[in-house]
Amino acid sequence: MRKLLLANGADDRFPLLQALRSPVAFLCIYLFFLTAVQNTALAQNTSVTGKVVSADDQLPVPGATVMLKGTSTGSVTDLDGNYSLTVPNRDGTLVVSFVGYQTQEVAINNRSLVNITLATDLSDLEEVIVIGYGEVKKSNVTGSIVSVKAEDLTRVPTTNVMESLQGRLPGVDITRSSGQAGAGINITVRGNRSLTASNSPLFIVDGIQYSNIQDLNPNDIQSMEVLKDAASTAIYGSRGANGVIIVTTKQGSVGKTRVTVNTYMGVSEVTKYPRVQTPQQYADLRREARRATGDWNGPEDDANIFNDWELASVRNNGGAIWPDLFLTEGSQQDYQVGVSSASEKSKFYVSLNYFNEKGNQRMDELNRYSIRANIDHAINDKISVGTQNQVTYYNQDFRRDPMNIANKINPLLDPYDEEGRVEFQPNNWKDVNPLIDEEPGHYKNNNRTTRLFSSGYFNYKIIDGLSFRSNLGMTLSNSRTGIYRGPETVDRAGAVSEAVYQTGNGIGLNWENIINYSKQMDAHSFTVTGIHTLLRNENETQSAQGRNQLLDYQLFYSLGNANDQLAIQSSYRASSLMSYTGRLQYGYNDKYLLMFTARADGASQLSEGNKWAFFPSVSTAWRIIEEDFMQSSNLFTDLKLRASYGVAGNAAVDPYSTESLLSRVPYAFDEVGAIGYTFGTRIGNINLGWEISKTYNLGLDFGLIQNRLVGTIDVYDTKTDDLLLDRFLPPSSGVSSITENIGKTRNRGIEIGLDAVAVEKGNVVWNLGVNWFTNKEEILELATGTDDIANGWFIGQPTRAYYDFKKAGIWQTHEADAALVYEQVPGEVKVVDQNGDNQIDANNDRVILGSPRPKWSGSFNSDLSVGNFDFNFQVFARWGQMMNYEFYDVYDPSGNENSHAHDYWTPENPSNSYPRPNAGRTQGSTIYYSSLLYEDASFVKLRGVTIGYNLPTAALERLGIGRLRVYVTGKNMLVLSNVDNYDPERGGAMSNPIPRLLVGGINLEF
Amino acid sequence: MKAIKINIIGFAGLFFGLMACQNELDEYNPSGITAEGVYTTPDGFESLVNATYSYTRWWYGKEDGYNLSEMGTDLWINGVDGGANVALVHYENLQSNQGSVETLWAKLYEAVNLCNAGLEFVAESGLSPALQLEREAEIRFLRAFYNWHIVETWGGVHLSSERTKTAQPTANRTPVDQFYASIKEDLNFAVANLPYPASQKGRVSRAGAEAFLARVHLTREEYNEAQTLAEKVINGYDFGLMENYADLWDMENVENEEVVFYVNYSSDLNLNDASNSITFPNGHSRGGHNGHLLFMSTYDRNGTVGMTRDIINGRPFARYMPSRYLLELFDEEVDSRFHGSFETVWYSNRPGTYSKTVDGQTVEFTLEEGDTAIWATKEVLSPAEELAKPFLVYDMESMYHPDGTYNNNRQYINLKKFVDPTRPSVAEQQSSRDAFVIRLAEMYLIAAEAALQEGDLQTAADHINVIRNRAAVPGMEATMAITPADLSIDFILEERARELAGEQFRWFDLKRTGKLVEKVKAYNPEAAANVREHHVLKPIPQRQLDAVINKDEFTQNPGYQ
Repeated sequence: MRKLLLANGADDRFPLLQALRSPVAFLCIYLFFLTAVQNTALAQNTSVTGKVVSADDQLPVPGATVMLKGTSTGSVTDLDGNYSLTVPNRDGTLVVSFVGYQTQEVAINNRSLVNITLATDLSDLEEVIVIGYGEVKKSNVTGSIVSVKAEDLTRVPTTNVMESLQGRLPGVDITRSSGQAGAGINITVRGNRSLTASNSPLFIVDGIQYSNIQDLNPNDIQSMEVLKDAASTAIYGSRGANGVIIVTTKQGSVGKTRVTVNTYMGVSEVTKYPRVQTPQQYADLRREARRATGDWNGPEDDANIFNDWELASVRNNGGAIWPDLFLTEGSQQDYQVGVSSASEKSKFYVSLNYFNEKGNQRMDELNRYSIRANIDHAINDKISVGTQNQVTYYNQDFRRDPMNIANKINPLLDPYDEEGRVEFQPNNWKDVNPLIDEEPGHYKNNNRTTRLFSSGYFNYKIIDGLSFRSNLGMTLSNSRTGIYRGPETVDRAGAVSEAVYQTGNGIGLNWENIINYSKQMDAHSFTVTGIHTLLRNENETQSAQGRNQLLDYQLFYSLGNANDQLAIQSSYRASSLMSYTGRLQYGYNDKYLLMFTARADGASQLSEGNKWAFFPSVSTAWRIIEEDFMQSSNLFTDLKLRASYGVAGNAAVDPYSTESLLSRVPYAFDEVGAIGYTFGTRIGNINLGWEISKTYNLGLDFGLIQNRLVGTIDVYDTKTDDLLLDRFLPPSSGVSSITENIGKTRNRGIEIGLDAVAVEKGNVVWNLGVNWFTNKEEILELATGTDDIANGWFIGQPTRAYYDFKKAGIWQTHEADAALVYEQVPGEVKVVDQNGDNQIDANNDRVILGSPRPKWSGSFNSDLSVGNFDFNFQVFARWGQMMNYEFYDVYDPSGNENSHAHDYWTPENPSNSYPRPNAGRTQGSTIYYSSLLYEDASFVKLRGVTIGYNLPTAALERLGIGRLRVYVTGKNMLVLSNVDNYDPERGGAMSNPIPRLLVGGINLEF
Repeated sequence: MKAIKINIIGFAGLFFGLMACQNELDEYNPSGITAEGVYTTPDGFESLVNATYSYTRWWYGKEDGYNLSEMGTDLWINGVDGGANVALVHYENLQSNQGSVETLWAKLYEAVNLCNAGLEFVAESGLSPALQLEREAEIRFLRAFYNWHIVETWGGVHLSSERTKTAQPTANRTPVDQFYASIKEDLNFAVANLPYPASQKGRVSRAGAEAFLARVHLTREEYNEAQTLAEKVINGYDFGLMENYADLWDMENVENEEVVFYVNYSSDLNLNDASNSITFPNGHSRGGHNGHLLFMSTYDRNGTVGMTRDIINGRPFARYMPSRYLLELFDEEVDSRFHGSFETVWYSNRPGTYSKTVDGQTVEFTLEEGDTAIWATKEVLSPAEELAKPFLVYDMESMYHPDGTYNNNRQYINLKKFVDPTRPSVAEQQSSRDAFVIRLAEMYLIAAEAALQEGDLQTAADHINVIRNRAAVPGMEATMAITPADLSIDFILEERARELAGEQFRWFDLKRTGKLVEKVKAYNPEAAANVREHHVLKPIPQRQLDAVINKDEFTQNPGYQ
């Protein structure tokens, strides 16, 4: 748990002694803090020296504080763990402390050499928490911050490191976006404040903003912190309005060179995917559809409703279950090697990583290669420099999603012709066979992306306690997408081939200058931080396209050889953010803690005059456990009350949102080109300003029974004003949307995290963890004054709500008269007549049906280790949300396309699920069809189960191996929900279902 | 000490010096352009005028446009693949979320907004005063043209004359009379200031504006003005009827002497309107003239013989099937327009030996390249007659039930006016065929209808006879000629069907003459049960109704949910 150089600039525990020895520094200190120096100056009698080592490995502990008890005289150990302290006499007691170790008091007893061995502190409270431009002990945190340990990140193998945090962070809602190889995640912290501006949290990697969190290998990460309340995120100003996730990557540590090897491989399989109708079920629906129109009265009429080959297929049990032709076994493999070491002045960490994922459809494959190198160096006592670098290269193949066609194509069709070849357009051109894309040379969609993420810092300790740091971060990204669609593909359906070549380069620059001053005066501790930040993003894209390639095998590599329709385009966009921040942290006896932050942000994408905004915040904590009356408590080992209030802003709208931009329209008079420029569909807002959120947060941290049970409870209330809102406008105005500052939302919630050591006996350790949180999202006010139906915004409802007619069932035969009142007949969808006026109309009978926002989420974790074995599982639940379920949309009442195996109404089958098939109807002309599409998406899943075994150390030592663990993990092992054969985490979509994954892996350490 | 001071001052200077770079926050957008920057230059303003024309492509030659202008009438029923259009073709559950209605509502108002911008910027365009006047006249013509489509389709809905500069959350309900006052004012300006001929093919000329104004007056029952203007277009310029009706539709003749105003499509597909992720992301999903796809029957599908899909025969979408009534309006013995408009024979391009079964009897026959493979006919053949033909026969009874509902909506006699064998591939959806909006024949029909309404039957008959004379099978001119006694509004409607079927007039014709419900009930058996009086207006899109904040004032048209 020891941290040496701190990534984020607050390395204020760096050797104090050297600084004190410097006469210049003395003068400065004298000038600045006369009283503090006086004590030392008046009593320069004698000195004590010694070395501080760790009880674990007898290695030196640099940066430990050595104080003379009851005074402000103190020193900090150097890189070798040595200290030297000037004391008035050798009667006193030394107090030695360092983060991650138990504080020790040692009487000097007239010695001049006092060596001290520090025991590791098992309590989490001494853990250091990164808070943004600094760090504090966990016990001194005043805001709402969750910290994640490295081992939690690597327990379940994931493509995206954030996915491994699913269910582990109270207040952070994480879902996987799809089952596609390399698919991203959806993440929101404490609900959605904004309706259209971004709700994505800010990612800070080693102090620098980096939005491509998927580039990071979980094994490279030392720790992660999630900052949730406005007071904690205030230091990041507007960028932190949606929460901040701080990632600290690994660094070298003094000692012998450490080599770690982590690898896993495994297979994935789609175990849950709803079924389409079999060829025979499809034939039955077609018959029923024709029966409804009087064209089919029995098998003798089959010939009238099926053509020759369909009839043959019906009679010979031919055809195919098309979706099954596409879902295949996928795989994942990951190889990571990390090497780290440190000498007195320098530290390094280097890692290499290769990751490969094959999705559950052919031609869906991701390769990721990355290299990381972190180097830190102390030039002298005052100046240190360092750099963190990561290069990530993706090579990914995509395919056009075939599942939509596979679910709807006539299942009586045979995908292959008599010679077993894939038939391009079976059914005489009516359909395109989606298997055709898989034929060699037909389709290619390849993306190559390289991102270089590099940052460097320069740190200068001007005098003791006062430091200046400058960080420069750069993200340079390059991507190329090449798409080739041959004539025989789903996309081209027989038209001439098309090739697209798109490239993009992005530059993200982040320059920060930080001044930090810390001072401890008796029981008072102060830290003052000033920051200036400049952030600039520039993106350029280039696109080119050509049709009718001369030679197919040239794919997208020789667009000049395309015969038709060459097209090119390029674009540029840029945005800047500038800010000035000041922060004051004050602590009294580590008992009363206070933090003020003030930040001014200027965003380029807002209107002139509205670009700047000011965001103040305050947070405070009372460590009740430190009070005298708690000293006798046997129950509590920790008790802290936190309160904060902060203002945060959001300006995360597209650049140029203030401008009404024109778009190009091709036209011609005769054959003479006459290019036009017309208004884009979005109109600019010349008054665009900041969206402002104000958050109250109240929190309680506690530890009971020697910290066998620790927990955190937070409640919060966020009100957001001047909501940035992408508003849909009446099309009669000639434009369709605008980004506006209108409306108010509110998010309220409760977050609870509990960790317990259930058993700790001998070699059995059993830890249990529970996380639970709920967030209520609510729109308070809107531009329209009342509900904004066009945009789906309703006062008192979450920012996304489903608004439609409420399905009551299907009109039954005996209800024919009642149905007639609504001009309907039995077999049609029945909806609720909300106002009972005997007519269904859009204004009075549509209601809020639900929302995709969950009512609550929770997880339960169990970690058991018995000797060398470890066993872990996690159960994750997301409850109360609704989805628009695409599979319910796969229903063709005319029996033309295939449908899912729905229980549809017939005169003999009085179902209340689906309306009667009818050859004269389409879905579009089936009244109230959309009311069928909504479904409860609550689910509970056994997200991960892991069994691991650590090989006995004795045996390994002979091989020179420090640690060897083998494990197997199953992911998505069990899903319970209201729908059959579907994982609602996917959110209702039909494409790229979320698979079950089984992997085996090795962790090796030399 | 000094060193430190300098250091501190230096850092402080650096730190606060950064505050000076405020212009970092100025936006720089070299790849984006705005109205103020573009429309105030001569070339930029010309680009605006070009764009005002481009919106015509959303209506003419497009499925959405056919759905709103030709369908829901007595002339068409659904083809096998027309299911998505049942709401507009058969009035089955026509509601406010209908896709074509939504699309065209939005596009027409985008067009009007751009025209309004044109009128706002024309004075700053930097064009010569003469050219300013000419361009303003074009823009005003187009604004009237778009507003006419709006008011005829939806009635007295939103009318705007100002460019939208910021969010406009309300919409007005402008009475139809006021709409027409604005339309006529714009058209009068256009007539007064447009040149003839137009400076470029595809632009509207004075004659085009007069012809359209004639149509507007006819719609408003201002028969005298309508007749005068129509006759002026007939006599005042060098338009003429094509000698042979069928030649009107030859791809060689897309620019011909009969066309008064058309919507231009280009054979350079880069100049067409198909959506393209790179150059035209907001484009049309199909692009080009789509009439060749939509009306075609499935000569190539299962059940047919001797045919495979090729460029000459085209790519059948089978959306629209002629009503039995439409086919029966023609006497093909005397009227060349039947074979000039409809496809009845397909010649084999897949030779081979085939069989067919009629009435339980199977016969085999061999087709050579070019032999008749399929014949669709208005006749009714006996099984024996049919068996005797060495090709596939779809006779009237196999296509239609006696009541006019379809018996086979896969293979049928189809409209062929828009076929385009010049497309580069069989799958190519974009035809470069220009969409005729006004051709001279319409002027004769307008003049005739106006004269009839004014009681001048002889003039009306004379005008009609010009059309019928041209349409006559050679030698049948006398049989085709009518007398004043033959005339009635129903006859005019029949004649318009024969002359203009598929040319995006029918729905307006039935509405204008007040016969929409009557004719649909009488001749479109698929739609008869569904059509209601309120269908003379289309529903206002729900998206529009949901988005306006003055919901009490801006309400749905009667009869819709």
